[in-house]
Amino acid sequence: MNQLFKRLCAAGLNSNQVHVNSLHTGITALAWSKSDLPKRFLLHNKKVYPPQSPEEEPRPAFVCHQKTNIKYSPEKLWYIACLVRGMTVDEAVKQLSFVNKKGAIFVKEAILEAQELAVKEHNVEFRSNLWVAESFSGQGMVIKGIRRHARGRMGEVRYQFSHYFVRLEEGKPPADYYKVNPQTPQQQLNNWLEQMRKRKIINSY
Amino acid sequence: MANSLLSKMGSLRLAPVIFTQPSRTTTSKHFIPKFKKQRAQKYLKVELPDPNEDFAALGPEKIRQKMKERGLLPPRPWMERPFYISATGGVFEPYVPPEGDGKASLVSTTRAKQAVQLLEKKSKSMMAIRKIKSFEEEFDQKEFVQKAQETYIKAHEILASGNTKALRDYVTEKAYPEFRFNTLSKTIRWSFLESLEPPRVVHARCTDVVSKENIYGQVTVRFHTRQTLAVYDRFGRLIHGSEIVAKDVLEYIVFEKHLSNLYGTWRIHEKIIPDWTPPKEPSKLTRLMPEPEPEVVKPDKVESIEGKETAAIADK
Repeated sequence: MNQLFKRLCAAGLNSNQVHVNSLHTGITALAWSKSDLPKRFLLHNKKVYPPQSPEEEPRPAFVCHQKTNIKYSPEKLWYIACLVRGMTVDEAVKQLSFVNKKGAIFVKEAILEAQELAVKEHNVEFRSNLWVAESFSGQGMVIKGIRRHARGRMGEVRYQFSHYFVRLEEGKPPADYYKVNPQTPQQQLNNWLEQMRKRKIINSY
Repeated sequence: MANSLLSKMGSLRLAPVIFTQPSRTTTSKHFIPKFKKQRAQKYLKVELPDPNEDFAALGPEKIRQKMKERGLLPPRPWMERPFYISATGGVFEPYVPPEGDGKASLVSTTRAKQAVQLLEKKSKSMMAIRKIKSFEEEFDQKEFVQKAQETYIKAHEILASGNTKALRDYVTEKAYPEFRFNTLSKTIRWSFLESLEPPRVVHARCTDVVSKENIYGQVTVRFHTRQTLAVYDRFGRLIHGSEIVAKDVLEYIVFEKHLSNLYGTWRIHEKIIPDWTPPKEPSKLTRLMPEPEPEVVKPDKVESIEGKETAAIADK
């Protein structure tokens, strides 16, 4: 059984060597292959918004940033990503430094990098005047390994990599991002009244 | 308070160590440590790549080793140098604008002196215009000045619209990066209102590059105009100027044409900024002043390291 594994492994590793015959499919050609990193999220940084008139409230600046191919499970990273949502940058960094998980280091790094970017390139004046508006994880490359099972069978091992995405926005965070605090009866009534008044009665006039 | 706490928790000192010291409840350790090695052998060793490897931090020796491992050839040294011959790389004998132009009265003594000096310089300009006429027979200063103004307006409008391909028809290769500098992901609102004074040719020069027949003509035109300019950042927030307030603008624009080229056109080449220009308006964007960087003392060991590395590569 171990011999089979060894042969399989050797086949996997041999593909890294140059084959004289495969000129266009060899590893040298792959050196110039396209990057498969996520790039759509960063395109938000390039969007140009239309000019505002002086009486309008200035649009808050934002910056999108990503950390790619972290050796960590995207599922585990998701919990940490959820933790920092709706926090100010300083609060998020403070909280993350007390999270006893490997992924917290990456998330903290990403937020600090994004903060630096915001000040340097996106016209943000005060580095503390930012909050985490978006924060989520995604799956990166997955390398499949083999493990041995009983009776000459094989199992698959997934070595997962993950991406982390963060968007920092200028200004103060919303008071209750996750809406955990219940509304008071008066608030509920007001909301209901507003909702009722907003509705459109079809064919009324 | 402290007293009551002590009396409550005082009995803790009697508790066994296992309760007082923190212990991990979840561990990744197997409950039978005996067959640890055999269990590890079930997994095939896979060499995981490091996608975030910092290649800049690696030395040339290490990079060479890695490339050899993967069977990659070293990059070909790029010996060629791009060379443009459709435009020159600068302005030769640039025009020196008289001080207080557009403001000081013509009767003042300094202006009178400069006017005399200008007359002396004019002969050279006349020669240059004669040379231009030998290539371009229907060259007329009055017509040229009108066309130059059209080019000037068109170039700025195109810059504001962001059509970078069309801009190349109105701007030389030298001026193109200067034109587009700092315009990325900004909104520019520019409008030309009127000419305060009719534009006029103040300076002309011709020069040859590489060979005698390869001649370029440069003509400086003085524009005194009224314009509005407003620049907005990526989020639509005003960072410079205003769309309402018009400003008087006095500019000396150098136009260039590759005269030897049958299809050459007059394009904007440079703007002459005199020493006496008033200081720029400060930016509307405010930012914190950066802290002064601490001085780093450089060690003098750079040479010895380099010598070692080259030797290691050369031995192959």
